[in-house]
Amino acid sequence: MHTLRRFLKLGNFFIGCLGILYLAAGSPGAFAQDSKDADKKPAIIQAVMCEEIRDYEPHNIAAVFSIAIGKVYCFTSFNSIPRNMFVYHSWYRRDRLITTRRLSLKTPEWSVFSTIQLREADKGPWRVEIKDNNSRILKVIKFGITE
Amino acid sequence: MSAFFSQLTSIGWRDVIDILVVSYFLFRLYVLFRGTYVFRVITGIGFLWVFQRIAAYLGLIVTSWAMQGIIAFAAIIIIIVFRNEIKNVLQAKDIGAIFWGVSHKAFLTPEETIISSVYALAQKKIGALLVLPAKDDLQEVIRGGIPWRGILSKEMILSVFWPDNPAHDGAAVISGKRIEEVGAILPLSRSSDLPSSYGTRHRAGLGLSEKTDALIIIVSEETGHVMVAKNGEIAEIKDNLELQNILREHSGVSTGEKGARQEENLKLGFAAVILVVCVTGIWFSFSRGMETLVSLEVPIEYQNRNPGMELLSSSLNAVKVHLSGSGALLRSVKPDQVKVRISLGKAVVGLNSFTITQDNIFLPPGVILKKVEPQVVDVNLDIPVKKELPVQIDWVGKLAEHLILESAKVEPEIVSVIGGSKVLEHISTIYTEKVPLDNIDKTGRLSVNLALNPASLKVAETSNGKATITFTVNRREKMVVE
Repeated sequence: MHTLRRFLKLGNFFIGCLGILYLAAGSPGAFAQDSKDADKKPAIIQAVMCEEIRDYEPHNIAAVFSIAIGKVYCFTSFNSIPRNMFVYHSWYRRDRLITTRRLSLKTPEWSVFSTIQLREADKGPWRVEIKDNNSRILKVIKFGITE
Repeated sequence: MSAFFSQLTSIGWRDVIDILVVSYFLFRLYVLFRGTYVFRVITGIGFLWVFQRIAAYLGLIVTSWAMQGIIAFAAIIIIIVFRNEIKNVLQAKDIGAIFWGVSHKAFLTPEETIISSVYALAQKKIGALLVLPAKDDLQEVIRGGIPWRGILSKEMILSVFWPDNPAHDGAAVISGKRIEEVGAILPLSRSSDLPSSYGTRHRAGLGLSEKTDALIIIVSEETGHVMVAKNGEIAEIKDNLELQNILREHSGVSTGEKGARQEENLKLGFAAVILVVCVTGIWFSFSRGMETLVSLEVPIEYQNRNPGMELLSSSLNAVKVHLSGSGALLRSVKPDQVKVRISLGKAVVGLNSFTITQDNIFLPPGVILKKVEPQVVDVNLDIPVKKELPVQIDWVGKLAEHLILESAKVEPEIVSVIGGSKVLEHISTIYTEKVPLDNIDKTGRLSVNLALNPASLKVAETSNGKATITFTVNRREKMVVE
């Protein structure tokens, strides 16, 4: 009797495992869809450096900025955003990473910007690398900081 | 004494070669120029140089200075005054003779001169009376001689006995290489059994031989026969060889031509030994004199580098080498004579440490290495690779406040750069040289050079190392102050 009970318990466990395997096997389409979304990159509409952001628009777009203006902005605008996600603005001065900002994007279109405070020591050639979740570089913006 | 022997044992094979080469050079000069005036003047200069060194050692400044001047002047004089003599010595011989040939003396011995003169007189049937003294003093026996003291030569003897010469009837007294007297009157022999063909010359010659140990050579004016009188006896000489033997026997020289050659070789050998001793002495005075220390900054030379690798950097470009040796030697050492060489034959990619040892340092002979600082050098080697890198403009200066540089495009956007793989690993951008903004007031175009840092980087042949910047300038939109 005792042996029969143990056999039934083992059978229940086995059926449970099969159920889990079925559920897993029944959802491969959904799994592939998620993977596709993850691979999709948001499309960049605009990526510029500017002196000011006003009314969600970049103003005084330039390639060279004086430290006298105090701040510089990296403005990026996206569409075809597959899902809510993050993009990264990595600021480099002469190939040296200075800072990375994580910015949130929402479907289907979104604009984000990052900014740095300018100091005397910041003079020189800069670049901002715009990357997605997978560290893929979407765009590189080059600019200079001068007197 | 023990110090001397310890110095002697410290001589290396290089030092021996050094001494022998200089000795041989001087020996060749001696062989080529002996018997000439040049040799005498060179010997004089040599003595002057020794005196100059002594004067310098004793601190006799003016003497030393004057001697230096004389030596320099004499060296020029030798070349100018004796140019023909030098030319003859160097031109007359082939290269072999200059470097290793030994020309034996060409001049005649007094005996040879006398023999050739006597037979020249005999051939011309010119009467002659030659007296060759031995140990006895002839002054009390012969009379009326005219002091001559001329150098013995065939021409001189012929002219003395030439028929028109006032002294031709007398005797010529020859001593060594000189004709001491001419026209000398000799005592006549009183012997009654002389042949009737003998004249006064024969009687005079025999007379002197009876009273002294001199040798008298008589040339008959009538027959041209040559006779020799010695020790009261007179005999006819058949040929020049017989006369040669008699002359040699009289002068006490028993050796023939071979002996003369041996004597000359002995002289050359003696000269060679003297030269080797002198040069050894000079060498010791230079190389083992008062010990002096000097320090030199010597650049490091890297050798045997694998052509596939590139020397990126080294912790040292030069090392300080401390040297010791005699003051005279060290004063003459030039920095480029000291070499520090490191072989990169076994070096690998990356950082390599080398310890600088005696084997890495090459010094002139006689100079001793005391110390080298620092002793370790780190060398960074890499394999050159090609990498495509984006170009970025390096703006400097200040743009006018009312202007804004809206965009700038650089052409080419990407360049191929060749450099060490380790270096290029950390480089992701090539910058232009600094581009000033101060003079920019409108849209335009500029041509600039690329700044390659580090300098070991090279732009690939497809790029010319230049870039063109096209920029757009506009009036600034006023900023809103919040």
